[in-house]
Amino acid sequence: MSPLPYTDIKPVGAADFYLAINATFRFVLKKLGHDGLRQYWTDLGTRYFAPVTARWKEGGLTAVAEYWRAFFAAEPGAEVEVIQSSNEVLLDVKVCPAIKHLRAHGREIVPCFCEHCHVIGNAMAAPAGLTVRVEGGNGSCRQRFTSC
Amino acid sequence: MLGCYDFCGHYEWTFEWFRQQGGEPLVRQYWDEAIHQDSQRHAAALIAAKGIEGMKEYWGHTLADEGAGYHCTATDAVYRIDMHECPSKGFLIRNGLHQYHDYCDHCMGWIGPLLKKSGWVVDHEHNHCGQCWWELRRANDPTPPSQPGKHDVRLRADWKGPTPHDTYSRANHPDDKTVS
Repeated sequence: MSPLPYTDIKPVGAADFYLAINATFRFVLKKLGHDGLRQYWTDLGTRYFAPVTARWKEGGLTAVAEYWRAFFAAEPGAEVEVIQSSNEVLLDVKVCPAIKHLRAHGREIVPCFCEHCHVIGNAMAAPAGLTVRVEGGNGSCRQRFTSC
Repeated sequence: MLGCYDFCGHYEWTFEWFRQQGGEPLVRQYWDEAIHQDSQRHAAALIAAKGIEGMKEYWGHTLADEGAGYHCTATDAVYRIDMHECPSKGFLIRNGLHQYHDYCDHCMGWIGPLLKKSGWVVDHEHNHCGQCWWELRRANDPTPPSQPGKHDVRLRADWKGPTPHDTYSRANHPDDKTVS
C-alpha cells in the first residue's frame, strides 16, 4: 500500500500546479485575510489530510518518514533528505520544488507562502501526538517532526 | 507541504471550502481571479496574442504534462478538444474524492472568462465521468458545433454514462449551461 492517501497513475505531479497553489494562497489572503488563510491551511491539515494523520497515529515516526519520502518522490524538482532517528523525523529540504518552480516562472510568491508547511504540518501532526518545527524557508528549510 | 502530485484532490476540496465560506459567488471568483487571472495568466497571454496557435501551444503542453488521454484538432476557425480521460476528474474518481457538487464546472469557470476577454466563445459538453468535448470559436463566428467525427468523444460507448450531461452553447460562464 502506498504511504500516500491519494495516488495517481503518473509518477510525479505537474509542476505548473504550484502556480495554482500560490495563486490560491494569494486569493484567500485577499478575500479572507491572514487569519482566513491560516484557517484554510488548518482545515486542509485536519480534514483533507485526515487519512495521513490516521496513519501517523498508528505508525508513529516510521509512518511519518514513509509518507514524506513518498511525498517528495512525487514532487518534481524536489531535493529532500528524510532522516528518521529514535525521537524525530527530519526533512532536510535542500531545494523546495514549489519555490524553485515559482521563481523559474517569474511568479510573485505570496510573502507568507512558507508558513503553510508549518500550519498544515502541525494540523496534520497534532491529532497524532506529534508536532513540527520549521527552520529556514524561502527555498530551503529543515522540518522536524517529534512526539509532543 | 501542499504538493502538486495530488493537486486535483486539494483543489476540489478547496472549492467546497470556498462555498462554505462565501457561497457559490466566491467559488466563481476563485476560478476567475485566482486561476484565470493569476495562476494561468500565461495561458491568457498566449491565447490573446496568438489565438488558435496559442491554444495549440498551451493545451498541447499542459494536457500532456497532466497525463491526459485526449485529442486536439484545429482549423483556422475552431480549436477542438476531445477529452477521453480527464486526468483531474479521473484522479478524483479513482480516489473517491467528492467534496464540491460539480467539479467539472471549474474548467468553464476559468477558461470561459479567459476566452471571453480575447473574443472567443465555447461550445462544450461534459458527462461528469472524465469525458468532454470543447469547440472554441471567435465570438463573431456563428458556426454551430460540429457533428461527431474521428477521435470524437461522443462516439464512445460510455459517453452517455450514468450521470447528467452539462452542455454549453456559445458560452463564457460556468452557469450558462443546460443539464440533461
